[in-house]
Amino acid sequence: MTWISKSTTGFGLLLLAHACYSAHEHSALQSHRAASLSSLPTTQSGSTTSLPIDITIETVLATLMICLGLVSGTSRLRPIQWRVWAGQIEREGEAGFTNSSGEVEKDYVGNPFRLLESRPGFVDIRKQRKEFAEWVKGQ
Amino acid sequence: MSSSLLRPPSHLPPATALHNSQQAPNILNNSPGAVSTSVIQSLLSTSESQELWTTYENLLLSLLRTGDDDSAHLCLARLAKRFGDDNERVMALKGLIKEADANDTATLEIILKEYDQILQDNPTNLPIVKRRVALLRSMGRTPESITALISLLDVSPTDAEAWAELADLYFSQGLYSQAIFALEEVLVLQPNAWNVHARLGEMLLMASKTSDAPRHLAEALKRFSRSIELCDDYLRGYYGLKLTTTQLLSEPQKASKQTEPDELAVPSSATVQKLDEAATEKLAEIVRRHTAGERDWQGYEEAEITAARELLEKASEKTVR
Repeated sequence: MTWISKSTTGFGLLLLAHACYSAHEHSALQSHRAASLSSLPTTQSGSTTSLPIDITIETVLATLMICLGLVSGTSRLRPIQWRVWAGQIEREGEAGFTNSSGEVEKDYVGNPFRLLESRPGFVDIRKQRKEFAEWVKGQ
Repeated sequence: MSSSLLRPPSHLPPATALHNSQQAPNILNNSPGAVSTSVIQSLLSTSESQELWTTYENLLLSLLRTGDDDSAHLCLARLAKRFGDDNERVMALKGLIKEADANDTATLEIILKEYDQILQDNPTNLPIVKRRVALLRSMGRTPESITALISLLDVSPTDAEAWAELADLYFSQGLYSQAIFALEEVLVLQPNAWNVHARLGEMLLMASKTSDAPRHLAEALKRFSRSIELCDDYLRGYYGLKLTTTQLLSEPQKASKQTEPDELAVPSSATVQKLDEAATEKLAEIVRRHTAGERDWQGYEEAEITAARELLEKASEKTVR
């Protein structure tokens, strides 16, 4: 899904840049024409200063497109209720916290209170080594 | 898969630990050995991520567990190079490696003396204090370890991990009421920890076998209910709830005669019955959906599911009879 959102955003940016360029060109052309026309007695200023409708439409469309691309590219929303979030950790494990490209998100830590039961500061490394050696023997 | 290296590895099954250790050469070769601490160079060179050092620390623990000491020393060397030899956490890791290398009690005694030496210079070096407690426990000197831990808690009473360890130490000595008190302290510090609520419930359930059953059972019921309240579909909580309600229903409690104001009364049997039904229903649902392989229900551990299934089968046998 990421490439869709990325290409939408990219295309939107391109359109926006194009609209900006067009607007700039238009105003440059206007001022040039105004300068050349000012020598003439009949000036019709006022009617030509507004931007053509197609540039306006292009700008609005490009902005909407960029918004759409960015929104569709965000990661999945997390539950905001504590019990729902905790339940998701317990029920789905790592699988519930993957981002759009299928990898587990970096800030996923599982149950953050698991530390209170595994207690890494008090780890009994000799016991763990013994248990691991036995596990290897059993394999 | 390397995401699991960002979490402390001590609760992982041996197979995962082995897998983590086998990644060691890869990680050690690909990660920068030293990150310069000067500001200008850190702007120019590849940015140093926080995960890198967490990975090193957890990798070190996995390596020690699987007995790959050479790579473990390499990890430690890199951590020491980055944070300095006198960093408290690095000191604790160094002690950990020495403990892992030690073969006999005499060596362990020497390590213990070294810890004491470090603590004489700086009595508030918490990682080393914790190592000392763990080493004493590992050597079988639990009472001394409890004393050391209590003095640690005098210094830093807001350390939830230390309270949890104290609870476990008391529990290993069969001192239920002290263990329950320590776990309640953990809950004061971390009131949302659903697994600690469940743990306290389990401990109360065990304590109810020895003394003062009605009060302990009522309290356990409350704790398990709270753990479920904090966490939807929490298997451990429902399992404990089921055990407690079964106990309460099998031996009908006498109308509570001790109605002290601050005492928790055992709820009426109708309430207990309802809780029992709810727990049974939920456990059955969890077991069914996990076994059916539904994608959103695969986070439970196999052993937990098996235990829940056995409990349900036992309960249904009873009702059939």
